[in-house]
Amino acid sequence: METLSFEFPAGQPARGKALVGVVGSGDLEVLLEPGQAGTLAIQVVTSVNGAEQRWQQLFERMFREQTPPALNIDIHDFGATPGVVRLRLEQGLEEVGHD
Amino acid sequence: MHDIPRPHDLLWGMTPVQLPADAPAWARQVLAAGQPVVVRRAVVADDQIAIGLRGATREQRFAARMRRESVVSRVSPEQLIARLPDSRLPALLALHRLHPLLDSLGLAWGVTGSVGYQLGSGIAVVSAESDLDLLLRTPTVFSRDEARELQQLLDRAPCRVDLQLETPSGAIALREWAGDSAHVLLKCATGARLIDDPWDQAERAA
Repeated sequence: METLSFEFPAGQPARGKALVGVVGSGDLEVLLEPGQAGTLAIQVVTSVNGAEQRWQQLFERMFREQTPPALNIDIHDFGATPGVVRLRLEQGLEEVGHD
Repeated sequence: MHDIPRPHDLLWGMTPVQLPADAPAWARQVLAAGQPVVVRRAVVADDQIAIGLRGATREQRFAARMRRESVVSRVSPEQLIARLPDSRLPALLALHRLHPLLDSLGLAWGVTGSVGYQLGSGIAVVSAESDLDLLLRTPTVFSRDEARELQQLLDRAPCRVDLQLETPSGAIALREWAGDSAHVLLKCATGARLIDDPWDQAERAA
């Protein structure tokens, strides 16, 4: 078990909150809540140790394309592949956008 | 039994020389010791099978390919539940208790993950903290109501139970299908995607 923290520049706070994904092997649970304007704060609790750089790169790639809303994101990861992490984050971002 | 290995089947016969040059030392040891590999979901050449290796720790996982012709034996998750050992470990106790309940569904089911690996290989990888990973073959619609009912029963087990529904499109988590989310994560050979209905013909073709 490892807990990792990340911060990225963000826009205005998201309006809604969302919980997507499931607790289970190869998947992850993502809780998204409105954050402080300008900041996207992500905390990852993962069952896979030693993967900090992989997370950093994945987030950088995702948030370089489009400035995300200000959020506090809590991730519980159970060994999901980068592809699954990305899908779940996109699913969560879509849900907070709709509220 | 299917002729083509399916995800989660255990295969024997892969040798260390089939590993790529960058494979870790533990992966070579696993194969040199004659331990099985686990079929995973990925698209590979026809004469190959996508497999994963398990080492002693959670970090020791390695994805590779095995030549089809080198398979000497294969055990499916369904075959692993035929004879269960006596054990006080929560994951094995849970498997004992859930056995009649899962049989009563009238669908093929089996055990995967660390419990499946231990039952198939004889190597003690299950710990007191281990979850129980199961799969249920659902070639036709398994409704969200049925999923809720089954998930509630699994939640009473002595350990956490993760059940995957193996649909014609790929696998989904029972827990997610039993929940409220409109989109669920489908895991298939070409990767993962979010879908509405894994039994929909259009989703299958996608």
